[in-house]
Amino acid sequence: MTRNFANWPIVLVLLIISTPIIIMYAFLVIDTVTTSPPGSAIPNGFTLSHWRFLIDPTATGDVWRPTLTTILFTASIVVIVLGISSTAGYALSRLNMPFRRYFLAVVLVMHAFPLVTLIIGVFLVLQFVGLYNTLTGVVLVKAGLMLPFGIWIMKGFYDTVPWEIEMAGVQDGASRFTVWRKLILPQVKPGLFALALFAAIDAWGEYMLPRILAPSADFEVLSIYLNTVSDPDSTTYNFNLFKSVGLFYTLPILALYAIFRDRLMNIFGGGTKG
Amino acid sequence: MPARSYLTGLAFLSPALFVLIGFFFLPVVLTAVFAFTNMSTSTGISGGSYVITGNLLGSLKAQGVAPTVVDALSQASFVVDEQSIAKAQAAGTDAQFLAEIEQQLSGKAFSEERAFERELKSLRYRPRSIRDLKLAVDQFELSVLNTRFASAAEAREAVSELVPSAPADVVDEIVDASYTGWRWTTSNFTRLVSSSDTWRLVGNTIFYVAVTLSFTVFVGLFLAVTTFYLPAGAASAFSMLWLLPRITPVVLYTVMWKWFTWEGGFVYTAAQALGLPAFNYMKGSVPTAWTIVIMVNGFIGAAFAMILFSGALKAIPVQQLWASEADGASRWQQIRFIILPHLRWPILFVVSYQTLSLLSSYQEIWLTTNGGPGRTTTVWALESFNTALNSYTGNLQYGLGAAMALILVIVGVALSILYLRLFRFDELLSRPKIEF
Amino acid sequence: MQIVLKDFTKTFDGNTVIDRMNLTVRDGEMLALLGPSGCGKSTTLFAICGIHRVNGGQILFGERDVSNMPSQQRNVGVVFQNYALYPHMSVFDNIAFPLKVRNDSKADIARDVRTIAELTHIAELLGRRPGQLSGGQQQRVALARALVRKPDVLLLDEPLANLDAKLRLEMRSEIRRIQLETGITAILVTHDQVEAMSMCDRIAIMKGGQILQIDAPKDMYHNPRTSFVAGFLGNPPISFLDGRTMDGRFLDEGTGVTLPLPAGVTVANGTGLTVGIRPEHFGHAGDVPVRGKVVFAETQGRENLYDVALPNGALLRSVQPARDDVRPGDEVSWQLNSAAALFFTEDGRRL
Ligand SMILES: Nc1ncnc2c1ncn2[C@@H]1O[C@H](COP(=O)(O)OP(=O)(O)OP(=O)(O)O)[C@@H](O)[C@H]1O
Ligand SMILES: [Mg+2]
Repeated sequence: MTRNFANWPIVLVLLIISTPIIIMYAFLVIDTVTTSPPGSAIPNGFTLSHWRFLIDPTATGDVWRPTLTTILFTASIVVIVLGISSTAGYALSRLNMPFRRYFLAVVLVMHAFPLVTLIIGVFLVLQFVGLYNTLTGVVLVKAGLMLPFGIWIMKGFYDTVPWEIEMAGVQDGASRFTVWRKLILPQVKPGLFALALFAAIDAWGEYMLPRILAPSADFEVLSIYLNTVSDPDSTTYNFNLFKSVGLFYTLPILALYAIFRDRLMNIFGGGTKG
Repeated sequence: MPARSYLTGLAFLSPALFVLIGFFFLPVVLTAVFAFTNMSTSTGISGGSYVITGNLLGSLKAQGVAPTVVDALSQASFVVDEQSIAKAQAAGTDAQFLAEIEQQLSGKAFSEERAFERELKSLRYRPRSIRDLKLAVDQFELSVLNTRFASAAEAREAVSELVPSAPADVVDEIVDASYTGWRWTTSNFTRLVSSSDTWRLVGNTIFYVAVTLSFTVFVGLFLAVTTFYLPAGAASAFSMLWLLPRITPVVLYTVMWKWFTWEGGFVYTAAQALGLPAFNYMKGSVPTAWTIVIMVNGFIGAAFAMILFSGALKAIPVQQLWASEADGASRWQQIRFIILPHLRWPILFVVSYQTLSLLSSYQEIWLTTNGGPGRTTTVWALESFNTALNSYTGNLQYGLGAAMALILVIVGVALSILYLRLFRFDELLSRPKIEF
Repeated sequence: MQIVLKDFTKTFDGNTVIDRMNLTVRDGEMLALLGPSGCGKSTTLFAICGIHRVNGGQILFGERDVSNMPSQQRNVGVVFQNYALYPHMSVFDNIAFPLKVRNDSKADIARDVRTIAELTHIAELLGRRPGQLSGGQQQRVALARALVRKPDVLLLDEPLANLDAKLRLEMRSEIRRIQLETGITAILVTHDQVEAMSMCDRIAIMKGGQILQIDAPKDMYHNPRTSFVAGFLGNPPISFLDGRTMDGRFLDEGTGVTLPLPAGVTVANGTGLTVGIRPEHFGHAGDVPVRGKVVFAETQGRENLYDVALPNGALLRSVQPARDDVRPGDEVSWQLNSAAALFFTEDGRRL
């Protein structure tokens, strides 16, 4: 923006503090297609053998089943989070209800307080309702943990829709549900989209919940699969293989992020002051 | 009063209420409840049974229960009656032999195994092998030791049958002590307060939160301010780069750090080439372990801070900056007097938000140093998680873990309420304008 | 449909904004609610259309008590200040929305929308989005949408505030034309007196949640019941002189201006009074000469506007056909028409 100052010292300092990231991510990509001699980080040969896991399940086990499971897992979470946040956010932004103030405060407290600490309680709840070790259980818990954030973000987006649109709809004889569905929801599409992206990225990367709440279940998401591959005790332990699987796992996220970066940033306009 | 319009609101809110109650409210309540129990893998979650074990008898004796009673309990006796004969039959004892026992010894009782054995040996159809004989003897043994009783009443009956002389209150004491399920207790908290480990954990946690937070804020500020001054292309390249840690799945992200810092990893190799000390930096020394833990979390936080700060910077009227440059302000003066004042609220927000999330975050530590070397980088949340759900010994102490989590929840809620005040929560509320 | 507000009371958080207001809007008339900002015009409007609940009193549409009915059941058309068109729908869909939610048949919808679009002169815009329309066109769409259901009542909340001067003139007559053609009972909220006077059958002047006076525009102008009403209507505004009664006449001691009191009024000697003189009654033919110094002059093309300072500093305004022989600083002696002077007691009531 301003031209009065020289830029290269800044770029230099930025580069220096960014080195760990640059190196880690550069080698994340490089190592998946190269071999390097022991005791050196400099690659000395090109190979596609680390990608064999895509077609050859003998090395690491079939990767496509976990991929499908992860897609299902992510999609369910996105649907639940969008569905519930868009109704609850609307209620908190626009509708009359008793204790509205306290709901809002509670949602904010939950939002500010990532309740993975409550995982012990969640674990017990799942045990009691019989959803322990099930995909449904993990999906519900993950969606639940994301809800306060989603609700708060959606409330922020609803708050920016002019009240007059709502009033006009009511005057036109539409019920509040119709007003929401036909008039208000289309106005918050950017918010829904951003939230969907955010939820998808978050759910795709989830590791903890499946690991703890479904340790011996018959499904496996990619994070768990990846962790199995990266287990130092496993026979196939090999950073290059791990990185290939990891890159395969992360590519969808990187793609989403690269394509929709601006839309994703939208989300931070809604939830915070500043 | 306007009940009908409340209904619409509640209907819209109900799906969220349902999930939030199930996965936030209920877990909090359960955490609070179980914090006051000694629940663990060995007690089970649902409930227990009554088992008198040798260990238990030892501790009962130490607690002053009459030795005669204890001894009597540990003694077995051998009784030949319909019940024991049926049992022996079921166990496959030879039928002729059994018939003989019934005929000769019915109704008799022996307090010593030897005597009973001798008696059996004298019978005509006794089995040839000693092993079979022993097996038969075992079937007639009557003992409470290591027997599982489903209810207190059954256990009480068995004890009084075996030791008729024992007074009722002693029986109750014994039965009560033999319960294997969980019980109510405040010992989790007394244990936490009295343990020196606790204070070290608290110290670790404060250190971790404070240092990571400072790292987050300073790096976030630095990134936001510098990218603000850079041409759009470079700025967006750096901000994209710095957002990578935040969006990369945690499993991959942490293993990339392992690759970076473990033996044979990048830094290791580089240090070797340069002749510097090379070891597994993540687990090899306390300072390096802490540095890595802080960087792993700090990089993620810095991305978050950068987004917020950059957003706030974009809102600064450009005229102010031009004016300051026209006035001959140096870049530092511009930052100091124009930019930082604009960032006051975002900084405060990042500090409060990150304090809470760092206090309760343990995923990254768990997947990198896992609290090591030793327990030097263990923080409260990680310890609580390990105690309750991830113990090496296999005995998960839900109760103790819940107590630790509860303390964290209380601290978190208290801080949140403070922050709600600070950020003038009331201003975020506007009354619905449609009153029907 | 006649609208009656009976002892209508509205409080926000224990703060009474409107206290026992009574108002009758006659069937088929267009009434203006005119008043300064914050006086409760919008609040009254919102109570009538069912967005606000009343805290006391009743709202009657004809014989029907609608106080506790939600908007959906009141059949009121509203035009909002910023039009509140649905940005994601075409003009056609905007206008059709009220009919769609009532499940009219497709053919009926198409016919009704077309009819109303012709009435409001937007038939050729039906395919566009609101974002592709000018302010005046959006205004017409909003009107069409409000009218398409054939509501019993039409409410307009500052409908012209967002338009430029020329469009405002045009839409003023358009709205009036449409209201007359449909014969609908309408309430226009505005703080622009010209709008109120030119568009409405009657004006209700509000202040602090109270209706001070309801009258036809002409009567209101010539016969204000209080000094507030007198001061609120008229542009340039009326000027006031303070004085007292002396032997059946009004005397402003500071300037020496004396005026006869209106016939049939008797006031005790020495009572404090305020006299209001409209600019068109000073500087034309009159019976009382007043001397002063021109302190401000402004030409508006056809007319000139002068502020004349009297010796004690009081100001009288004058509107005269354009002339260029008087400049600021000139001493003038102009006639005041005492027959048109309006007398008020010290607490603002008209004598
Ligand atoms: N939702 C509300 N909560 C609290 N006070 C309100 C609310 N709406 C209006 N008020 C108050 O009621 C009074 C009347 O407001 P209203 O909007 O009716 O004024 P108005 O005459 O329409 O003014 P304007 O010409 O500025 O639109 C004001 O003092 C306002 O502050
Ligand atoms: Mg208003």
